[in-house]
Amino acid sequence: MSRRLAVFALVCTAIGTAQTLLTVQGDIPSPVTLKAEDLAQMPRETVTVQDQDGAQVKYTGVLLREVLTRAAAPLGKQLRGKALTTYVLAKAKDGYQVLFSLAEVDTTFANESILIADQRDGKALFGYQGPLRLVCPNDKAGARSVRMLETLEIVQLQKK
Amino acid sequence: MRFGLALCAVLVCSGENYHWDLPARFPVPRVPADNPMTVAKVELGRYLSYDKRMSVNRKSSCATCHKQELAFTDGHPVAVGTTGEHHTRGAMSLVNVAYSSALTWNTAGITRLEDQALVPMFGEHPIELGLRPGDGFLLSLRSNAKYQGLFERAFPEETDRFTIANVVKAVACFERSIVSARSPYDRYHYERDDSAVSDSAKRGEILFFSQPQSCFRCHGGANFGGGPEFHNTGLSATDATIFQAPTLRNIAVTAPYMHDGSMPTLDAVINHYSAGGHDNPHKDPLIGGFHLTAEQRADLIAFLQSLTDEAVLHDPRFANPW
Repeated sequence: MSRRLAVFALVCTAIGTAQTLLTVQGDIPSPVTLKAEDLAQMPRETVTVQDQDGAQVKYTGVLLREVLTRAAAPLGKQLRGKALTTYVLAKAKDGYQVLFSLAEVDTTFANESILIADQRDGKALFGYQGPLRLVCPNDKAGARSVRMLETLEIVQLQKK
Repeated sequence: MRFGLALCAVLVCSGENYHWDLPARFPVPRVPADNPMTVAKVELGRYLSYDKRMSVNRKSSCATCHKQELAFTDGHPVAVGTTGEHHTRGAMSLVNVAYSSALTWNTAGITRLEDQALVPMFGEHPIELGLRPGDGFLLSLRSNAKYQGLFERAFPEETDRFTIANVVKAVACFERSIVSARSPYDRYHYERDDSAVSDSAKRGEILFFSQPQSCFRCHGGANFGGGPEFHNTGLSATDATIFQAPTLRNIAVTAPYMHDGSMPTLDAVINHYSAGGHDNPHKDPLIGGFHLTAEQRADLIAFLQSLTDEAVLHDPRFANPW
């Protein structure tokens, strides 16, 4: 079994079916929905962070930057002028919301490796953590590491 | 020769490090550098904790207020000292106290179990065990053949082993050995055993960690509480005191609840928090109230019940050795 197939099988086992896990919408050309199989076929990354109890935990998934690129959010050479007023509102199933600026994840600006994780220590996220969560390795506090992530809302503040 | 070998075996045993039998990925308790965990100190601490010599009138021991079958609480609203004096707070659980940053209901300055043990032993306001320096307590241990062996194995390199410092070190080691990590929830969460808890408990876990309820903000981490922050829970309209959020592990067997034991059931506690508590200027802003359906309330309680670790309630390693 290939690595991507293995990841796909792992996540699908956890959620039961290949349902939509993440919706990207807002100020982008058209909304994008991602299923487990889509995430399994995108470039995979692993980051190691310390959890609340001091244990080292490995999260695996897809970088937020990759998902935003797939949704045609203005990144790279497009991230200038008015586009620099664009933010990402991350929404969880329980209503929790946090935001990021596009410049935080863009490689020519802060280049943060913020991860949309579907695995923790090699096992699919489940229960209150999953099926997707954000992991922000350089945040000192954990409050932006949104659990039960469902939606990324792209908002450009400066319209004119 | 045979005697010599036996003596060596005892000495090796006395220095043996204590190991917790923890599931994979469960955090290891913090241990102070000046009081490493050894099998011999844990065993001595267990004998002391269940020994009524620990009280001025020999009517009470640590275990009087910390009963194993009640997750090392006592089932009373507030603790009662050995002379009959009532405490203003309920006896806190000792389960997983090794993970707690705060060791009393509302005293932030006591962060070591070795220091905390001195409070019930020698405290006068209120009297708990009622010991006093020079009252013959240490002499009673020194003259006991059982303790002579226990102290020798626990502190083999010390010439004067029978000290209060060593008593509290041993008691603290025993307390740190009492770890609950085998509840149904642990099997579900750490071992990924989906059959370990009910679907209702799984839904309750999500509610516990969800934004509207935000239970996890105070009762967080693998121990579901015991963090360094203190909170006013709005228990009264006038009390400005802030309290630690104690562990919720084994919470189903530690009624009555809250620092004053004023709530008899988990349902009553959920009523309090869903109503947002009593308004007072010091109430923690996190306590703002929330709505639960009857099913959600049952789910939340099912989750809390899944934190009961029957093994720790009946483990002979934590039981009365006398």
